[in-house]
Amino acid sequence: MKGTIGRIRKAGAALAVAALVTVAGCSLNEGGGDSAGGSNEGSGEQAGGATLRIGTTTDMENFNPLQSLSKTDSWILNATYPTLLRIDENAQKVPELAEEYTTEDDGRTVVFHLRDDFEWTDGTPVTANDVAFTAQAIMDYQLGNVAAKLTWVTGIEVRDDQTVAFSLSEPYAPFAEGVGFWMRIVPEHIFSQAGDLSQFANDGDWVGAGAYVLESATKGQRYTLKANENYPYAPEGGAAVETVEYVVYPDVNTMILALRNGDIDLMGTPVPISAVASLEGEDAIEIETVDSLGFAHLTYNVQNPVLADQTVRQALSMVVDTESIIETILQGDGQQMVGPISPIFAEYDNTSLEPYPFDPAGARTLLEGAGYTDGNGDGMFDDLSFEMVCDQSNANLTRVGEVVRDSAAEAGIQIELACIERNTFLSRTRGGEYDIDLSQWGVFDNPMDQLRSTYLSSNPGGINYNLVADPELDALVNDAAVTADPAQFVEKIKGIDAYVHDQALLTPLYVENFRFAYRGDRFTGFDPSPSDLLGMVTGYSLSQVTTVD
Amino acid sequence: MLRYAASRLFRAILTIWIAVTVTFFLLRLLPADPTLLVVEGDMTPKMQDALRSQYGLDKPILQQYGLYLGQLVQGNLGVSFRQLVPVTELLLDRLPWTLLLAGSAFVLTLLIGIPLGVYAAVGRGGPVDRAVQFFGITSNALFIPSVAILLLVVFGSNLGWFPIGQAIDPDTRGLAAYGSLLHHLALPLFSLVLVQLGPYALTLRTNMAEVLGEDYITSARSRGLTPRRVVWRHALRNAVLPALMLMGLQLGTLIGGAVLTETVFAYPGVGRLIFESVQQLDFPVLQGAFVILAVTVVLANLLTDLLSMALNPRIRT
Repeated sequence: MKGTIGRIRKAGAALAVAALVTVAGCSLNEGGGDSAGGSNEGSGEQAGGATLRIGTTTDMENFNPLQSLSKTDSWILNATYPTLLRIDENAQKVPELAEEYTTEDDGRTVVFHLRDDFEWTDGTPVTANDVAFTAQAIMDYQLGNVAAKLTWVTGIEVRDDQTVAFSLSEPYAPFAEGVGFWMRIVPEHIFSQAGDLSQFANDGDWVGAGAYVLESATKGQRYTLKANENYPYAPEGGAAVETVEYVVYPDVNTMILALRNGDIDLMGTPVPISAVASLEGEDAIEIETVDSLGFAHLTYNVQNPVLADQTVRQALSMVVDTESIIETILQGDGQQMVGPISPIFAEYDNTSLEPYPFDPAGARTLLEGAGYTDGNGDGMFDDLSFEMVCDQSNANLTRVGEVVRDSAAEAGIQIELACIERNTFLSRTRGGEYDIDLSQWGVFDNPMDQLRSTYLSSNPGGINYNLVADPELDALVNDAAVTADPAQFVEKIKGIDAYVHDQALLTPLYVENFRFAYRGDRFTGFDPSPSDLLGMVTGYSLSQVTTVD
Repeated sequence: MLRYAASRLFRAILTIWIAVTVTFFLLRLLPADPTLLVVEGDMTPKMQDALRSQYGLDKPILQQYGLYLGQLVQGNLGVSFRQLVPVTELLLDRLPWTLLLAGSAFVLTLLIGIPLGVYAAVGRGGPVDRAVQFFGITSNALFIPSVAILLLVVFGSNLGWFPIGQAIDPDTRGLAAYGSLLHHLALPLFSLVLVQLGPYALTLRTNMAEVLGEDYITSARSRGLTPRRVVWRHALRNAVLPALMLMGLQLGTLIGGAVLTETVFAYPGVGRLIFESVQQLDFPVLQGAFVILAVTVVLANLLTDLLSMALNPRIRT
């Protein structure tokens, strides 16, 4: 007769065994937990080529490349499915699947000329039909952010296997760049069999044509991609990295430890500024600095009657010390900006603009001159009290908010800082519930799309956070959009840059540099593109990597 | 006895229904809209409406609730907003890992906690007792993510004894795969046990100390039974009951701890799925995960109740 303890121990042991068996029964690497596309016959051995492991903070959510995606989804699917153009290290669009594009009919027709040596991994050639099918599917189902880029399309014509022409309702200068960069081309012979593409999960048997094609996915753990030997931009003799593995580390500190330990070779997510110094001290680890395609900014809600006054916005611009913000908060790792166009687009950036000086006393004088008064003598103007919202998960911006609040107080402007939980923040910015929006744009691939999305009163992209409806600005933007002549187009963009700067619709804060850390003792030769969406992990960049012996 | 069991069962179902309902409405009270999180910029209002109706969020909330309950009783947890696959599939992928982690933490806590509590109670005021009390209070105050990072730095990075993150090396087969599983399990398990153990050992110590003062123990001693037999057979049987109840109640905390542990250790369980789904406001996944967790906790409590009933004749009548 055993006692109570014996019974409890027995029950406990049974529970543990049951749990172990459940796990064992489900996977233990026998393929049960994998939604593997390719066969898993290789029992772990690598056929010569190197394996590069990349850390990411989130799992893949969506495997359908036609839909809008998280960052991890984009990294993996951008490598798997080719785009017509890619962005190089200078933020210029360069050929990928398309050799070039031309325009006809005063810009009303845009023609992509494709390479003839791209092939899907099942051996089918990539043709103009795939491009036409992809665009048509996106328009039919209104999928992802590409649907907005295809707004102007009235017809798609496949002229031959390598030529596809888009007819537009009116000329739109950056049409080819936007569609070329954002639209991932999918194989018609697979996706046309998939039924409703807005519901298509595409979670197995992937057929791609990019540099690396997804082969197996183990949710919550890792995603394995294999080099596509037919990728035309791979170096002579094929890419040195044959296998790319994405490993999920939800906590960035754990990921840093994994890199130091050699469990991963590259952090896909940028290194937080606070961790840069400690990683720089490690011999085995290299840090690469990459530009940004977005920027941090204060954007003023002009639906607020006080902020509708240009003088107030200019005064606010004078209380923001961008130089010292970059020096202290970013540790010098950022660039200053004047108008709304980032210096990364060197061609379009209006360099003749003068930044607003940092001068809180001057701002106070300016406001007094405009008739604002301090009735109760507390040092603060009576009507100048604003709420500034920001996303508390962005540590840099939270600190910027505090700095700006303090220097605004010197000028007699009261700012109430509301740095809130991310989802709540997004919901408030979308709803226009703020006076000042302190945030960071992610990726603008070209200035024209940026200006349309942020300043047109029709608010086509839903991100006119100024909520500005200025007929003059509308006219300037619409006029530039239909300008086919490149030189005139650049001049018009510069003109808008100057107009917005003078209006002080926003106060640009900085263009942040991203730092990516990798095992320099194992790999070298990344060819990064700007932004954390592209960074080190584009298919092209990974295909150029070589191993260090 | 049957009536007791039936009333417990009814209470269990009621608890699950309440948990389901609260989760459903709580999520919809959030100030953010899941359709807004899908794209950054460039989303026309038309696309947003289409998405909202695809998610079923355009219907009146009571109708959504009715539909959801209807699905739920048929065992259908719905389809994930973001991943377009059935929630059941997502959960089944992850659940074994959480069961393994939380289950083994539960067992290990019992196996270590009982002797610790007993020895502390028997040698009250002695070095073991003082150590257990100190450890118990400290462990109660530990914050899982800090413990986890500390363990990772010391045993993973500096000493290199354990792998950093993940649950298994996918390239291992057979026996090596089990080895890899245990190797990866060690640190997350240790950190969960570390925070659970203290309160458990302390409770057991207090109960045990009380029981050891009872008359029947004195009489057992006077009958000349060995102290060993008195402690382990007679006293523990009564002291372990409240501690067992505590353990059942603490299962909720254990699973809450698993969310944090899984996130820091990159362990692919349900806890991490919850963490990710909160950020994406993936309502169906969150609802599904909470239903599963509620059912697990309720079942465990039901089992504890029935077990105590079996162990304690006083409840049986």
